[in-house]
Amino acid sequence: MTPPHLASHRASGLRRLLRPALIALTLAAVVAWAAVQCKVSLGELARGAVRGVEVLAFFFPPDWSAMPELFGPAFVTVLLAAVATPLGVALSLLFGLAAARNLAPSWLRTPARMLIGLERALPEIIILLLLVAALGVGPFPGVIALAIGSIGMLGKLLADAIEEIDARVLESVETVGATRWQIIRHAVIPEVLPSFLANAIFRFEVNIRASVLLGAVGAGGIGFELSKAMSLLEYERAMMAVLVTLALVFGAERVSDVLRRRVLEGGKLR
Amino acid sequence: MLTVTALSKNLPDGRPILNNIGFTVRRGEFVGVLGASGAGKSLTLRCILGLTRVDGGRAVLATGEEDFDLTVARGRRLREARRRIGVIFQGFNLVKRLRVLDNVMIGRLGGISPWRSWFYGFTDTEAAEALEALRRVKMDHCAERITGTLSGGEMQRVAIARAIFQRPAMFMADEPIASLDPSNSVAIMKLLAPLARETPVLGVFHQPEMTARYCTRVIAIRQGRIVYDGDPQLSQRQLQEIYGEELDQVLRPPVAPIPTTPELTPAGAIEAASAA
Amino acid sequence: MSVAAVPASVPTPVYTPPSRLFRRRLAILGALLVFLTGAGAALQFKPWMLVTDFHYLVRLAGEMLPPRIELLWSKASLYSSVAETIAMALLGTLAGGSIALALSLVAAGNTTPHPALRTLVRFGFGAERATPNFLVLLVLLIAVGFGPFAGVLALTIGSVGMFGKLFADAIEQVDPAPIEAINSVGASRWQVIRYAILPQVLPSVVANGFYAFDVNLRAAIALGVYGGGGLGFELQLAMKVLRYQDVLALILLIVALVTLMERVSDFLRRRILGTTAAL
Repeated sequence: MTPPHLASHRASGLRRLLRPALIALTLAAVVAWAAVQCKVSLGELARGAVRGVEVLAFFFPPDWSAMPELFGPAFVTVLLAAVATPLGVALSLLFGLAAARNLAPSWLRTPARMLIGLERALPEIIILLLLVAALGVGPFPGVIALAIGSIGMLGKLLADAIEEIDARVLESVETVGATRWQIIRHAVIPEVLPSFLANAIFRFEVNIRASVLLGAVGAGGIGFELSKAMSLLEYERAMMAVLVTLALVFGAERVSDVLRRRVLEGGKLR
Repeated sequence: MLTVTALSKNLPDGRPILNNIGFTVRRGEFVGVLGASGAGKSLTLRCILGLTRVDGGRAVLATGEEDFDLTVARGRRLREARRRIGVIFQGFNLVKRLRVLDNVMIGRLGGISPWRSWFYGFTDTEAAEALEALRRVKMDHCAERITGTLSGGEMQRVAIARAIFQRPAMFMADEPIASLDPSNSVAIMKLLAPLARETPVLGVFHQPEMTARYCTRVIAIRQGRIVYDGDPQLSQRQLQEIYGEELDQVLRPPVAPIPTTPELTPAGAIEAASAA
Repeated sequence: MSVAAVPASVPTPVYTPPSRLFRRRLAILGALLVFLTGAGAALQFKPWMLVTDFHYLVRLAGEMLPPRIELLWSKASLYSSVAETIAMALLGTLAGGSIALALSLVAAGNTTPHPALRTLVRFGFGAERATPNFLVLLVLLIAVGFGPFAGVLALTIGSVGMFGKLFADAIEQVDPAPIEAINSVGASRWQVIRYAILPQVLPSVVANGFYAFDVNLRAAIALGVYGGGGLGFELQLAMKVLRYQDVLALILLIVALVTLMERVSDFLRRRILGTTAAL
């Protein structure tokens, strides 16, 4: 017969286990359901692993002779991102200003926020597919898709940053008789500029990766070369393209890191 | 010259927080407004500036060329009126990421076309005149510094320079020295007093000893009404009437002076920026 | 008779006049415009196409409207597509997150068994992040065939790359004091990890996990376009057969799904992080 004080201890011990056990059970059930949905099969995985290794063997050694040919497309990929990012930045500036609670009237703010949310929900590839369906393949829809794709991230971050500005500073500038646009130019923009620039630089890096992905669907550049090589079963060439992509992305990451640090520290304000 | 007549404002439930406020500020005057917390002194200033709607009364600014009814002016008219009033707040006057000179030049935005200020900015002449304004407050050596690196007292001086640069018909100050330590407070009052000789100054203060020393006239507000308007020297009994229980706190010097270390060092700017 | 002291001429403080700043800004803007025009020309990017070819966009919009919402209840397979997409994202996040967590212990300077291993794993993370998603998927499609399983594997691998780095950085930034404290009572490495490190990184892991789910949901849709199954696959199918009203309906469904999942994951994250302390 358990002494009374130990009995309550035993009961609370069980109760303490109950919650994590419940969570674990739910998690297991969810995972099981998901596994069935996706036709996960460990047997298939094992077979696939073997097949995968066999396939990977085809990729090596990479076709080094193809490297000089791939510089051009790599450059195109970078150019796509480089042209699209300033366009995206300009668009995001407009959307961000329109979506800030302390700047925009509500009839403007709500649609702006909704559009930004809409864009964030759509993967860029879908935007590109739509543009390609309308305008055909090529760099033009690619640049537009990348530019529009930037609105979601940059616009939201900008709107949030603007809403964080102390209202009293804006009010203080209002009392010298400034118009709303003057307040934006002389108080709002200087305050958010460093973080906006840093985000824009980061977006450039993201756009390079996106440019590779979009290239596979027809926008050109090294993504296109990669998918072309794959469909022609030239696996070594594809591997070379992957290596060039790797170098490109690594390089972009380094440059972006350095530039962002300089912007955030230097505070080069005009 | 500013004429305030029967200014009143009510709370949402109908009770008045400002009741029949009326006074005049003329050339050469340095008027200090005193009162307990919540008495309505800052609110009066905000109503005059059009930052808060009033429920009754008028505030008319006569600049010699034009008269502006501040309580009914809207949009463009309000901006033109505000251009002629140089305002200094307790803090948060300045855009911390801009240079000091840029902050001063903001003062004339009311008179610059938005197109020009967007695409070109300010002219060299304006910059030179802004430097002159900084010289008057002895901050010209800081013209190129980022405003956020200045101390509180220095920032208030720049705020005064901005107001001077505006070439206004009148100055208004909302507790300009409340966040400053005693020596900086005195420095600011010593700047405002001579200014008042050319252009009238209307200031809300929380320190009767300051207004006694530097103002030419004092107005006291208690529970939304004016209870005193006259000589800046107030007797103990008068102060008791104005402040009630708060009198001890008001007269006692601050226990620890507000530190005057810069609010935003360059290193601090990095944290602030990366946290953004 | 006293002579008034003549003040030495005060030098004018140095400041950059606005005109010079304006010229500088103009130069930067000009350089940017020159670059954009040049790059645009190199890409054969014709911005005026926006105006001349605008009617194509309008025509497409016309073909897409009105969206064929009946699709939602007429096409039963749509629900399994939605389920597939969610399941892909879920499994990819859980599996990838677990592997990432395990690997991050090797990739973090304060828990790694060997610095060479650390460099290797970190490099692996970076390499995975740089590899385009669709390529990983392509290889997997060859290995395990078309469908959501390949998608799950691709998302798992992708999550390892993305979150391995984040988790490793979080581990490296933990407060060393609890580690020293537990070490000093002679705990094994695993006990140190379990009691000193994991509790500190758990909130960040959970928060990143939910973020990963949002990202993976979008990625699952995108991968579907390349052949990974789910809604993305349905979408590109509809586009191939030019059924644009179906396309718009699917897009609306995708937007609704992503937004809904974001809210759900936000809510769950707040509930869980609020009670992590109890665990």
